[in-house]
Amino acid sequence: MRLILLAVTLLVVCATGIQAANLEDKVVEHTLKNGMKLLMVERHTSPTVSAWIRFRVGSVDERSDERGIAHLLEHMLFKGTTTLGTTNYAAEKPLLDKIEVVAQELTAEKAKRTKGDTGKIAGLEKQLATLESAAARYVIKDEFFELYSKNGGTGYNAFTSRDGTTYLISLPSNKLELWAAIESDRLQNAVLREFYTERSVVMEERRRSYDAAPENKLWETFVASSFLAHPYGQPTIGWMSDIENLTRTKAEQFFHSYYTPNNAIVAVVGDIDTRKTIAMVERYFGAIKPGKEVLPVTAEEPQQAGERRIELVADAEPTVIMGFHKPAVGTPDDYVFDVINMILGSGRTSRFYKKLVIEKQVASDIGAFDAPGYRYPNLFVVSANPRTPHTVKELEDAILAELDQLKTTPVAERDLQRILNNIEYEEARRMGTNGGLARNLTEYEATTGSWRYMIEHRGKIAKVTPADIMRVAGTYFTRENRTVGFITKKGGDK
Amino acid sequence: MKLLAILICLLFTSITPASSADHQPANPRTMTFPALDFQIPKAERVVLKCGMPVYLLRDTELPIISMTAMVRAGSIYEPAAKSGLAGMTGSVMRSGGAGGIAPEKLDDELEFMASAVESTIDSDMGTVALTSLKKNFSRTLQIFSNVLLRPNFSESRVEIARKQIIESLRRQNDDPKEIADREINRAIYAGHPLGAVPTFESISSITRQDLKAFHRRYFRVDNMILAVSGDFDREALLTELNSTFPATKEPSGLALPDVPQPKLLFQGEVLYGRKDINQSVIRMGHLGLNKDNPDIYAVRILDYILGGSFTSRLTVEIRTNQGLAYNVGSRFDIGRRFTGSFIAETETKDKTTAKTIRLMKEIIGGTTKEPVSDEELNSAREYMINSFMFAFTSPASIVNQRARLEYYNYPDGYLEKYRDNIAKVTKADVLNAARKYLHPDAFKLVVVGEAAKFDLPLSTFGNVRELDLKQNIPTQ
Repeated sequence: MRLILLAVTLLVVCATGIQAANLEDKVVEHTLKNGMKLLMVERHTSPTVSAWIRFRVGSVDERSDERGIAHLLEHMLFKGTTTLGTTNYAAEKPLLDKIEVVAQELTAEKAKRTKGDTGKIAGLEKQLATLESAAARYVIKDEFFELYSKNGGTGYNAFTSRDGTTYLISLPSNKLELWAAIESDRLQNAVLREFYTERSVVMEERRRSYDAAPENKLWETFVASSFLAHPYGQPTIGWMSDIENLTRTKAEQFFHSYYTPNNAIVAVVGDIDTRKTIAMVERYFGAIKPGKEVLPVTAEEPQQAGERRIELVADAEPTVIMGFHKPAVGTPDDYVFDVINMILGSGRTSRFYKKLVIEKQVASDIGAFDAPGYRYPNLFVVSANPRTPHTVKELEDAILAELDQLKTTPVAERDLQRILNNIEYEEARRMGTNGGLARNLTEYEATTGSWRYMIEHRGKIAKVTPADIMRVAGTYFTRENRTVGFITKKGGDK
Repeated sequence: MKLLAILICLLFTSITPASSADHQPANPRTMTFPALDFQIPKAERVVLKCGMPVYLLRDTELPIISMTAMVRAGSIYEPAAKSGLAGMTGSVMRSGGAGGIAPEKLDDELEFMASAVESTIDSDMGTVALTSLKKNFSRTLQIFSNVLLRPNFSESRVEIARKQIIESLRRQNDDPKEIADREINRAIYAGHPLGAVPTFESISSITRQDLKAFHRRYFRVDNMILAVSGDFDREALLTELNSTFPATKEPSGLALPDVPQPKLLFQGEVLYGRKDINQSVIRMGHLGLNKDNPDIYAVRILDYILGGSFTSRLTVEIRTNQGLAYNVGSRFDIGRRFTGSFIAETETKDKTTAKTIRLMKEIIGGTTKEPVSDEELNSAREYMINSFMFAFTSPASIVNQRARLEYYNYPDGYLEKYRDNIAKVTKADVLNAARKYLHPDAFKLVVVGEAAKFDLPLSTFGNVRELDLKQNIPTQ
């Protein structure tokens, strides 16, 4: 067994070498003097290019009075600069300043809750509305979007996670300079106009994505309950009262602390000439001053010492989420979890699918993944829906039986080989789209420290042994380390 | 190679200061760009000996081959009492084993090769799709042809699929957005197969024999188009396809049922679904038009201006100006075989529900009263023309698109003339299109939420019919 595996491993390392040269050949890396990291791949399949900028700042970096600010700031950074999005910034600025004074006063009065002065609140609300409509006269609505769209840009968007914030666009390849011009302006001269209206938009986003969506509401509660000390527990969008108390001033402070060139990773993939692209990025971003080094989160989650059970009573059918604390991405045990994840949850040959969906039929669907972030110790999560008439308890027992089997029975060599074959396919497939490659380059560079993680991954997986899997399963899949969240149907089982 | 990359970086770091001195950063509003030569990529069309058309596009960037069969089948052909038959057939073709190979064995063989074969049947198309590393293509192709033409429909897998669908019906009212999306479609296409929704009874009545018969009737070599892209050798591929799909005499002639167009009835209706939530889900709309209508270009421009972009009228007013919603927009789904639909959607907190509905109807109605502005027209045209090339970014999307145009009988030159047709649209065309295809007074309006907390009663918008969201599905 051991010998065969070794032979297979050697073979795979060879194959990995070839693939690695392929990706390594294609990625051109350049670091600006101000610390901005640029990663490029030339692909000439179509005359298009995708450009992604990732900032190493996410909701994990927020203090308790800032929860939700990374995400709200991401929304605000679509609003323009001192020259874009406005017809006359000099005239607009004094109004924005007044809005901020009134809005802060209003936010503070409302924060008194029942002790707030309702007359004062009404007066301030009126004053704010008047100022906002005066300022609105100078606004050119979403001019970034308008400029990109007219030029054929698609997929203009941004997303915020626990670990990072990313801004993305795809353009006809002759228009890449438009991206450099807009994004370098945004980084230096952003104006967070229309802040308090956008804050309301984010409250609607929260209602839509969490309050009125039972499975997501359970997810939010489950993650928050899994982390008592580490900020991974707080929802990226913020709790409703967090959002209600965010101000433009807080957002600007956050922006200046984290949106610095040394905290940015840029990927440009597509129909480009890498030499010209480097020159262009230098020209637009090179003069931006670096900011302070961003320090890692110091909070550490204390070791969990007993099962936590989280119930959500909702107008929805039952569902189960089960999580176990585990180390961060790139640690030795994390690679073992990657293997466990694929054995249990990936495809129709996975154990969960074969045993729980097909054989026992206790689940209608089931999956396994790591969450809520990667940079810091996170969770191995199993998420499943019981199939009626089976109960949450029966489904939990069936999941635990599969986890227990990993502790006692070595995984077959064919299962490990299948995983390697699938990673080999993924390595080829992920080279096939500009956006996908840009996403991977920025994501891995930011969370693991280097995009080369992608090259080394298959080799690391090939070294995982059946004994490693048994050890890791035995160490982490314990009752003490477990959190279980579930929905109980309103008016259903007590 | 790596060394070269480092050299290039060094070189450019030293050149940069000189270059930035004579090339100032440009103003995004006025900057100009080098010309870009974009030719619409073509795919080769070949006909196999059995008569099956195949679109081919070779591309060796990745060692992967992709293939899709588009089959003239769909839920439009299922009897009303067996609603769900097409979807279940599509699912069990793959999950129930094929070519005499048992389901578990098929799964194991495919996943060990990291190949995928998947089948689905939607409202008016059946598809079986393959992806495979080049080295595993031949074996994957055999499995593909078995799933396509010779599925086992294993009895136990039919039962599992049935239980799975019933479980999904049981869960179909958990998310209020899912309720609203389903109910607006059902209201718009009432009485037509496109508006049919599977029920516990219809799913329970479907037998293995029904699946086999449905499959046999439509999945035949004279009723499908193939699209292949990736790293293949043309001659070898054609030889392989000809031997995989030999010319065979079908026992009976192909008979596709006649499905009528939906009746063009425009009659307003208010549908209400009660859910204990703090945000209402709002959908409104009616029938639209199909691709054979010469007005589609004006309608696409109208669509972009009204609710199809981040700077559309609905988004700017309801989201950006008033902060009433995170998601708001509208869309003409231009039908390919059947009359399409127009649907506007948003979600807003309970106490701004009526205000938002009224505002949406006003904004939509506004397009029928005044012409759009020159800026709006230009923005829409420029976006559609300049972003056109994104429809052709991968070999698979290029061949699939060509096959789809043939499948739905698009006129010759549709893609080639598309940008010119968009460029020709005038403000008068857009106004005419709005007047012809938008009737806010005849909207089907669906609202899911807690009516007692709304700012105005829903009856403000017409007679309200409450939806029955109770599930009467037996537990076994």
